[in-house]
Amino acid sequence: MTNYLIRRIIQMIFVIFLAALFTYYLFTVSPGGPLAGIQQQQRRITREDMARLRAQYEMDFYWPYRFSRWLIGLPNGPITIGGKEIFSNVAVGCYLARDEQTVEQNGQLVKIPKGCDQYVYLADIPELHPAIKSSKGILRGDFGLSTVVRPGRPVFGEMMTRLPATLELMLLSTFLSFLFGIPIGIYSAIKQYSRFDYTFTTVSFIGSAMPTFFFGLMLILVFSVLPNLLQDSLPWLPKLPPGSRVAVRPYEVASWLPRVTPGTGLDRFLHILMPLGVLTFFSMATWSRFVRSSMLEVMRQDYVRTARAKGLVEKTVVIKHALRNALIPFVTIAVLTIPGFFSGAIITETVFAWPGMGRLYFDALNRSDWPIALAFIFVTALLTVVATLLGDILYTVVDPRIKYT
Amino acid sequence: MKNLKLLSLVAILAIASMVLAACPAPAAEPAAPQVVTQIVEVVKEVEKTVEVVVESTVEVVKEVTTEDYSTPHPVLSDLKVRQALAYCLDRSALIASVYPYVEDGAVLEMDSFLPKTHWAYKGPYADMPMYDPEKGNALLDEAGWTLAEGATVRQNADGEVLAVKFTTTTAQFRQTWSAVAQQNLAACGIQMLTNYTPASWWFGDTTGLTRRDFELGAFAWVGQADPSGRTLYACDQVPVPSNNWEGQNYMGWCNEAASAAIVKANNTLIRDERIAAYDTVQKEFAKDVVSIPVFQRAEAEAWSANLEGVRSDATEYATANLQEWKLLDGGDTIVIGMTQEPDSMWSLVSSMAAQRLVVIPAKGHIASQYSYDFQPVLQDGLSTIESGLATNDTVEVKAGDTVYSVNGEPVALEAGVKVFDVDGNEVEFTGSEAIKMPQLKVTYKMQDYTWSDGTAGSVADMELGFNIDCDKESGAVEFITCDAIADKAFATDAKEVTVTYVPGYQAPTYYLYPFSLYPSHQVLADGRNLAEVPASEWATLPEIAETPLSFGPYVITEWVKGQSITMAKNEFYAGDVATPNVIFVFVADTNQAVAQLLNGDVDYLDDSTLGAGAEVQTVIDAAKSTGNVKYEISASSTWEHIDINLFTK
Repeated sequence: MTNYLIRRIIQMIFVIFLAALFTYYLFTVSPGGPLAGIQQQQRRITREDMARLRAQYEMDFYWPYRFSRWLIGLPNGPITIGGKEIFSNVAVGCYLARDEQTVEQNGQLVKIPKGCDQYVYLADIPELHPAIKSSKGILRGDFGLSTVVRPGRPVFGEMMTRLPATLELMLLSTFLSFLFGIPIGIYSAIKQYSRFDYTFTTVSFIGSAMPTFFFGLMLILVFSVLPNLLQDSLPWLPKLPPGSRVAVRPYEVASWLPRVTPGTGLDRFLHILMPLGVLTFFSMATWSRFVRSSMLEVMRQDYVRTARAKGLVEKTVVIKHALRNALIPFVTIAVLTIPGFFSGAIITETVFAWPGMGRLYFDALNRSDWPIALAFIFVTALLTVVATLLGDILYTVVDPRIKYT
Repeated sequence: MKNLKLLSLVAILAIASMVLAACPAPAAEPAAPQVVTQIVEVVKEVEKTVEVVVESTVEVVKEVTTEDYSTPHPVLSDLKVRQALAYCLDRSALIASVYPYVEDGAVLEMDSFLPKTHWAYKGPYADMPMYDPEKGNALLDEAGWTLAEGATVRQNADGEVLAVKFTTTTAQFRQTWSAVAQQNLAACGIQMLTNYTPASWWFGDTTGLTRRDFELGAFAWVGQADPSGRTLYACDQVPVPSNNWEGQNYMGWCNEAASAAIVKANNTLIRDERIAAYDTVQKEFAKDVVSIPVFQRAEAEAWSANLEGVRSDATEYATANLQEWKLLDGGDTIVIGMTQEPDSMWSLVSSMAAQRLVVIPAKGHIASQYSYDFQPVLQDGLSTIESGLATNDTVEVKAGDTVYSVNGEPVALEAGVKVFDVDGNEVEFTGSEAIKMPQLKVTYKMQDYTWSDGTAGSVADMELGFNIDCDKESGAVEFITCDAIADKAFATDAKEVTVTYVPGYQAPTYYLYPFSLYPSHQVLADGRNLAEVPASEWATLPEIAETPLSFGPYVITEWVKGQSITMAKNEFYAGDVATPNVIFVFVADTNQAVAQLLNGDVDYLDDSTLGAGAEVQTVIDAAKSTGNVKYEISASSTWEHIDINLFTK
């Protein structure tokens, strides 16, 4: 087991490094970036202005060096050994880039290719990229500074402001989807082809198939917009707040209820109802289907038949013999929800104005804030591989037949 | 294990290739003789190598006869074709396709690059072709593009079909109106090949539009109170490889009369002269049809019937008069919904509309820009020549003096430098003969003000504003005004500064105080005085980026990221504030924003939040059925147009 763990951890490091590298590379080669649209305003921007702006986003580094600075905070200047600087004149980027040009030389037109008129050398880094604006590296816990969404402010701080909202939503929805999804799945399996099974199979298919943004908008329409339009004729009809995490001023839900004060438990409860409903419905549908198929498979096993042949009551057969075995694959897959606790639900958070991580990521991608987007992907990738390992370890715990060597 | 090894090998190879591709050698390698695409780079250090390179370029140079985008486009360089394109476009149908709720689409139609309500618009400009497909067809026939019996696309004598590539973004809005345009052009026998590209490519800093990679290109310009336009229509603003793609004249339009007029319009301080110059440009623009103005965008804002005081305007942000807004039910908190969350409260590094909506009331406003013009707010009158606060004296300049060149940059005067003389004529410095040039000297004054911590404003705030805004490390995009300052003198006993600009600098908006005001007295949480903090750190300061001190009607008290910004009345603000609390809430999605407005959770949605899509119809319906909301739909300063690239690569 120890050898297995060591091997897996080495693999994990390799996988995370590759994920980080390729993600970074994709961001680098994708069109756009933080300077896209800068020419959309009428103004004169010189080549020197562009060079200065590019340097603000570290775009003056060749991407492997930029990646290295993001990952481990190096290079951050010339290497000093025994008080002597070495490799000071190693070019790590281009400050003043030159596009392909056609110029007249000796009376003839010549094409000068893309190139660089001013390189960034290791010795230039401390001046061009002072330590206060540079990351120490994500592996050293420094997520760097946001560039567009919150320019100049720490990415870590920005994420921490959003994490509580995401945790609240995701933990609750996961808990509720397990709470309802597992029993429904079990019951559907036991009563296969019953009216209950057909009903919940249909509901599950709807839950799995319906896009969350559509379901979310439907809920807003039904529980918020329509009751509001009917307030004059049906003032007793309750209406839910359409979005946000808390209200900012007192509001009325129905004529027979007292006004709700912002920030109270009731206020939070009313605000989370709809996003929670969407996510729970979606996850519950998936889990109930999974548990149902797992149970059905187990129920056909010889040991279940044996248990019944022994004369055990059906309840004991189901709970003690079938369910425990059916939950083995479930437990190992359930841990894969862990990354979601961090990454949130991008669409649901956006539709319901839920101030969580998913919305932050969406915003960062839309506006090319690479430090935020990369930190998000990096942490999610890290949690995914950790959750996978945890799932594999749990497998040995819940199923004694499995042994890793 | 075998698979793992293989995977590792592939990964290592992939990484190595990416790294090698990303790190070109600082100095170029000697190039082998090739044809056309030969790469030539001079290696200064190695004489022998240089010789080899020069030898090899001889063959190459023969192949390069023109630079990119200097070859006239075979189809679009023909004026008749361009006019036909404009004649065939039914602007009213285009407008109706995207704004079905706008009753009178004609108010959005344009025949110039300025809105009809702009002070510099003197149209109508009849030369700009408006919808008349018969004329369009006739012009195409004249141009040699004929429609054979039974054919749907015109052809020329060589059998080439009349097909033009139309590039724009994937935005649904543009796809909708361009689909109608495609039908319009098809009816005239023109095949319009649509190319919908991601905005990140189309507006990328080294791709798409900025590299003139289009034939017909649709996008929008945001109109301004000052019409500006020099970077768009002057001959020296055509982006080509030889000028490193500088400029925004993407059409490649070089009309001498128009170019001289647009330069003059941006180099004179007298409004009547400017109007005349802009009129010339607009006439030439209409004659040459190098860009087809399609329509001004409609913009919609909506608010609760319980709210009053909203002042809609095309060029000023709605919250510029937030202190006048009040709730009819006597409520003390106005809630404003926004789909975008501001990035920073430091205006120098932000250009977001959402940021301006918050920062104008939450920090203060030096001048407003209602109705395509400027009005002083904190500034003690606009510093115009007529007011006596500015002079435009004639000075003699000689070699070595810093002057403002016709290219719009401060340079040392030397032989060959072109400048505008005192009479507005373009002259080239001979190297010896002195030139008489105008020199602008302006005194900017501020009214008394008090920061939200109770400290009176001072001239040191103005000085700090200059120091930070003109510091290259601040993060500002450009420093045109800063670079044009020859001298500045801050008063000791008043909040005023006299700025002397370099000879030749004739910025039309010279009368506006060009810098920010910062609280020079402010002590930061880390104990430093704000004035001592280097400009490079300012963006990272919470006292600047998140909760700045204010001289405006409100001050930010709390910013809950992703949720809301809360503002309270600035107790030290000299004017009246009708409602003491304002909260901006961030709702991300327009549907959600409208739902919150209808639900009474928010009181106001500005045009950047409500947009002009299907949600507007929801608001209109709700306004009609319940009367709980009000709305205003107006012509935006932003206008859609189709640029025509006159040249090909």
